[in-house]
Amino acid sequence: MNNIKGIVAIILLFGGFFFAQAAFAKNVSGSDSLDITILSARNLNGIAGDYITIVGQITNHTKKPISDITTYLSMVDTENKLPVDLEDWSAEKGLYIGSIDAEQTLPLKWKIHFVKAGTYTLAVIANIAEQEKPIASSLTRFEVKPKKNLNPGQVLPVALGMPMLLLAFMAILQYRRSVKVSA
Amino acid sequence: MIKFIWLKEVREELYTWKSTVWLLVASLLFSFTSYLLLTNKELSLLDQTELLWLLSKIIIGVGLLIVTIDASSTLAGEFEKDTAESLFLAPITPYEVVWGKIFYVVTLWLFVFLVSAPYILVTSASTHLTGAFLSYALLLGTLAVFGFSMLISAISLLFRSSKNTLSTALIILLALAVPALFSSTLKTNSVAELFGKINPIEAIFASLDNVLVDYHMRLPQNMQYLIPLLVFCAVAFAVLMISIRQFKRRGIVKDE
Repeated sequence: MNNIKGIVAIILLFGGFFFAQAAFAKNVSGSDSLDITILSARNLNGIAGDYITIVGQITNHTKKPISDITTYLSMVDTENKLPVDLEDWSAEKGLYIGSIDAEQTLPLKWKIHFVKAGTYTLAVIANIAEQEKPIASSLTRFEVKPKKNLNPGQVLPVALGMPMLLLAFMAILQYRRSVKVSA
Repeated sequence: MIKFIWLKEVREELYTWKSTVWLLVASLLFSFTSYLLLTNKELSLLDQTELLWLLSKIIIGVGLLIVTIDASSTLAGEFEKDTAESLFLAPITPYEVVWGKIFYVVTLWLFVFLVSAPYILVTSASTHLTGAFLSYALLLGTLAVFGFSMLISAISLLFRSSKNTLSTALIILLALAVPALFSSTLKTNSVAELFGKINPIEAIFASLDNVLVDYHMRLPQNMQYLIPLLVFCAVAFAVLMISIRQFKRRGIVKDE
């Protein structure tokens, strides 16, 4: 009998612990109140200079509106293990959502410019004024290959030829001048 | 008579090597820049439009610098070489002399542009931007050179000294060019924003960015940048007119 009581007590204790932990986590992160989903491809490849569009959506799963949400991109260079300054990568620093109604879904769209070769991960983060922790989307991974803009051989004839041409022009002018003076 | 002065200046400058040396210097700078842009590991990773924008800024910058230095001595030099007296006593008006010199300075810019054209063609090959690059560099550069040459001519008549004219002109050029090179984060306060809107050099760089990076190639899409340049030309014209009138009133021999 005592053994049964003991087992029941342990079950109740663990059950209570897991319930409390789940409730606490839900309350702090609010992870199921808002949800960010990436709709575009999760793995992208491109060449430096290309533009891609990251498409996603933000959904309010609650029965009441949520206001004051700032969404932004967070990008990490996985080769150098460093966050990336998005200055040149995206013109839109963030998208502000004044209010999202109960059970409403709003689209999110970012145009990304591949600037430098490397491998990167990107996530969309939502910062909600009323909540302690931000909400993050799943990661989009992309690989950017280097781009050689032009064949350097094309520029060499011009880079060397133009100064030569001008030098020749100057020499002809000087010659004509000397001929005129001597005449 | 303006045509006569203009042609005389062009011939003189070509035969004295001065302008051709400037063109050679410009050509070497463009060669070095374009080769570096296309072969340097870091720079070659730039998007081609960014590369073209950088080159366009260098072309306009070099053109303005050459024109500023040359324009500073073209008119003021006449006073220093004591040729101003005979020039202004000839049956031509000061307006004709000044406009002849201004047209020579604009012609010098056109020579610089002609030298830069092969570099533009090479760097913008395989893009749809060649025509836009050539036409906007020509339009914006010509407007800026026209405004600067009028302003420098006005200063020349005022100072009648190449040294003073050159130092003043370079200070004006630097005062306008340096803020235009600042990053956008340094231009967040209202004074910097206002200065940015009226600064002709900033308008040139912003318009080239608009055309080459954002592909806004039609003229109405660039009017917001062309207006400050046109206003700058109008102000320079007004200053020049006042300066010529002042010059006529004071006479060729300046009162000590």
